[in-house]
Amino acid sequence: MGTVIAVISGKGGVGKTTASANIALGVAQNGKKCAVVDFDIGQRNLDMILGLENRVVYDMVHVMDEDATLNQALIKSKADENLFFLAASQTKDKSVLNETKVKKLVDNLKESFDFVILDSPAGIESGFEHTIKFADVAIVVVNPEVSSIRDADRAIGILDSKSQRVKDGNFVDKLLIINRIVPDMVQSGEMLKSEDILEILDIKLLGKVPEDKGVVDASNQGKPVILDKNSVAGNAYKRISARLCGEKVSMEDIEALDRGFLKKIVGIFT
Amino acid sequence: MFGFLNKKRSASLAKDRLTIAIMSDRSNLKDFPYMEEIKTEIIAVVKKYIGVKKIEINTEHIGDSEALSIDVILDK
Repeated sequence: MGTVIAVISGKGGVGKTTASANIALGVAQNGKKCAVVDFDIGQRNLDMILGLENRVVYDMVHVMDEDATLNQALIKSKADENLFFLAASQTKDKSVLNETKVKKLVDNLKESFDFVILDSPAGIESGFEHTIKFADVAIVVVNPEVSSIRDADRAIGILDSKSQRVKDGNFVDKLLIINRIVPDMVQSGEMLKSEDILEILDIKLLGKVPEDKGVVDASNQGKPVILDKNSVAGNAYKRISARLCGEKVSMEDIEALDRGFLKKIVGIFT
Repeated sequence: MFGFLNKKRSASLAKDRLTIAIMSDRSNLKDFPYMEEIKTEIIAVVKKYIGVKKIEINTEHIGDSEALSIDVILDK
């Protein structure tokens, strides 16, 4: 039985889809069979980040309505044979999802994959609730910035009150990724430190990802940044994926990155 | 070189503001999960004796303690 991971953030635009794509590819590169599902109905984007937008024939709604089988709808990644992708439907009607259908889909995926990663839509409405309902683990993505952190706390609150595992008396493991850290700004006291964010949200740290121009470049090409060996964000996602696979990888102090090195990677300073 | 020392350390301000905002968000969200039920039952009790138009329940922070304020608007 695989582990179901919901990737959530509350606020949009913090790098949730990028995180989902890179973590999914990262665990696949560690030899785990992984399915990554775009739950953002009507605003499909994960297909672009993975470079699979031209291969989508059937989406998750086709599978739920039994117009296609799961095997027909799952798209094999070009980057790793362990990675499969299921697209979101581009319909405007968000009511296509319901709890019974979502549970059936997630249960089926759990049977054949080690990891099932669900990329949540932004916000805290029904699409979000469907994503977290049957998750075993939640990965919360934030930027070191007040609105992102506040919205993440609201999302975590709703997760704790709506999750099936919590209802059954179990616990949902919550892990934090702090994305788009600018080490220079942290050092000069202009950006929140990781310890402060962890203290405010009262949650475990999964990894820290520095701001990196390479992320946009990677999305332009439809090749997740984890494939770029020279990318600091890509390497951060490698460490995060290894941690998820149970490896002990020490937390790199990216906030102390040396300034000269930093100039090469941080777009806004170059 | 130490120019940044003169600049306002906005990160610590962010931490203070966030801590307060999140504390208040959480208290509104979690502390009284049965708010709707409480409202319905109070309305039912008051209605036995007089007409009720509306009822409003709010949580307030007074120093370290929390209070529920209940306003019953009578139907005249």
